[in-house]
Amino acid sequence: MSRQDARPLTPLLIAAGFVLLAVCVTSLLLGAGDVGPTSAARVLLGSGSDEARFVVTQLRLPRTLIGLMVGIALGCAGALMQTLARNPLAEPGLLGVSAGSSFAVTLALLAGASAATLSVHAAQLGALLGCLLVLTAARIQGVGNDPIRLVLAGATLTGLLMSLMSLLLMLDQRTADEIRFWIIGSLAGRDLDTLYAVLPSLLLALLLVLLILRPLAALALGERVAQGLGHHPGRVRLLAVTAVALLVGAATAVAGPVIFVGLVVPFVARALAGPDIRRTLWLCLPIGPIIVIGADILSRLLAAPAELPLGVVTALVGAPVLLLVIRGRRLPAL
Amino acid sequence: MNTRSSRPAPHHCNTVPAGFWLWRYRSAERDWSLLIPRRALGVNLLLTVLLLTAATASLGLGDVKLSPLQVWHALLGDGSVLHQLVVRELRLQRVLAGIATGAAFALSGCLMQTLARNRLATPGIIGIDNAATAFAVASVVGTGLSLAPSAMSLAGAATATALAFGLAGDSGTRGYRFIIAGVGIGAIAGAITQFMLSQAAIDDANAAFPWTVGSLNARNPEATALLGIGLLLGLVWALRLARPLQLVQVSEAVSISLGVDLKRVRRQSLALSVLLTGLAVAVAGPVGLVALLGPEVARTLCRHRGVSLLAAALSGALLMLLADLAGRLLLAPLEVPVGIVTALIGSPYLLWMLLNPSYRSQP
Repeated sequence: MSRQDARPLTPLLIAAGFVLLAVCVTSLLLGAGDVGPTSAARVLLGSGSDEARFVVTQLRLPRTLIGLMVGIALGCAGALMQTLARNPLAEPGLLGVSAGSSFAVTLALLAGASAATLSVHAAQLGALLGCLLVLTAARIQGVGNDPIRLVLAGATLTGLLMSLMSLLLMLDQRTADEIRFWIIGSLAGRDLDTLYAVLPSLLLALLLVLLILRPLAALALGERVAQGLGHHPGRVRLLAVTAVALLVGAATAVAGPVIFVGLVVPFVARALAGPDIRRTLWLCLPIGPIIVIGADILSRLLAAPAELPLGVVTALVGAPVLLLVIRGRRLPAL
Repeated sequence: MNTRSSRPAPHHCNTVPAGFWLWRYRSAERDWSLLIPRRALGVNLLLTVLLLTAATASLGLGDVKLSPLQVWHALLGDGSVLHQLVVRELRLQRVLAGIATGAAFALSGCLMQTLARNRLATPGIIGIDNAATAFAVASVVGTGLSLAPSAMSLAGAATATALAFGLAGDSGTRGYRFIIAGVGIGAIAGAITQFMLSQAAIDDANAAFPWTVGSLNARNPEATALLGIGLLLGLVWALRLARPLQLVQVSEAVSISLGVDLKRVRRQSLALSVLLTGLAVAVAGPVGLVALLGPEVARTLCRHRGVSLLAAALSGALLMLLADLAGRLLLAPLEVPVGIVTALIGSPYLLWMLLNPSYRSQP
């Protein structure tokens, strides 16, 4: 651990920033349509045809921005949850937090809401309930120190909420039509208005995370240690849960449920910077968007001219990482 | 008793363990004896009666309501033409398909639980269902392959199993790794199914949709017939495996010393489990929680920690029939797919099981 701590963080962050920039530009240049990389590049340099300009600024730019935001939110949420639950498999999508969020949005739509802002609050409320359920479960004797039971319980909760959702959607055709394309996580065709609606809560959540970063690092060493260092574990946990709920709710409201991002991002960050949350969290900021936007580019290109849903690509990338994590020797050690 | 003097009876025949009946048959060549567990016999009889009742109810209830007597008359070929049409043409196939899929799922769940010595190791949880569904959907949508769904879903089930066991690495069938590996594989397969549905023409997608949630509505007659044959053969095969499996469950070392070919038993029960799951998914889609609930019900009723394969199959069939009946009646005229009903019943139970502090992983 001390050897990894010795690795300086700044160069890593700068390198990750450059990669992120490259991925963003690629996302603007590549697409399934007729506008090729050269004509898109011309738009970026200030010239180019009207058609290319429309495609780049109206279609690809919003996608990239949304990908940026979703990546930051889900990556940070994953890192926070893994530290909170002290479990390398804790991931908002796997543990049912995203499902809670989607379920709440479905309920809100059923109740007649259609405004973007309302569904954001519903999503965040649902995520909060899901988070609290997960953490309550993690504190049950024997479950908390058994990462796999927690994950299975989360998968079961997800299944239960999904069936309830299908049942509700069977009863209401209008909602079903409205929600069908949102329920498969994707960055395509999303509204920038929703992005603006979630930005305040996203910033609030990031601020919260900054405040509790040190106590969280202490909490990762155990409850007793954190108390001995003068922190209040209960309060820290509550703040962290609120932050996770805000982040996951925001991401879900914009892009729909996207699983496995919260697993992959902290996994990569930990591999690069070691297990300390104070270091991994900074790395999660660029790595999250790199992975989400990268997956989005793949989703555009793999099945061109059609599009793969983003959730499909993240599942294809994330499941092998899940397997890698469980094959590691020190599974319950986080 | 006077025959005993001519041939000394085996020692253990003299005392019958509590809770068992001893059945003996003496022929000229040798003695036959069989210990019949009293409780298991009673449970199996009870389950059979319940299953017949549920089947009668399922045949009788619906838009056209029939009394049990009318149902049996129609089944046997008298009664009015309308009744015969409703019972024999419309409802009977569905009920038979429900019984067969429920029994197949539960049997394969019971086999896999015993094999992996873990209550959670059922085909639904380790992703076999999802993979089989993905392959079956592929045969309906998109790919244009004219392979029968049964063949494709069998291939899917086999692939998922091989992957789960391969990726779990050296830990083999034991432990949790292979369950989580299965969760990952299930997620990939689910994503692929979603993808195929999103790419397919809307009519194909609608045709394949019931499958992805699990329903007895979209069954295909050939797949049902195949499942029927597979289930009959599988039951016989499974009952032959019951004895060695019971020993394996007690202790692997003991079973080896008693002459059980451990590898063969494992291979056979895994193959059987995959076969049954694949065939059942081809009929009803992923209704995997029956594979968890059926054996649990059987174990609770039989109150012993042995391998109650027959009781598991019967309770699986009963659960499936009841879930389908509930799905048909609760929100009529809307029909709730049986997969959703079982998920609504099964998931809370599974959650309770997982979060229970006194949880034991061994069946």
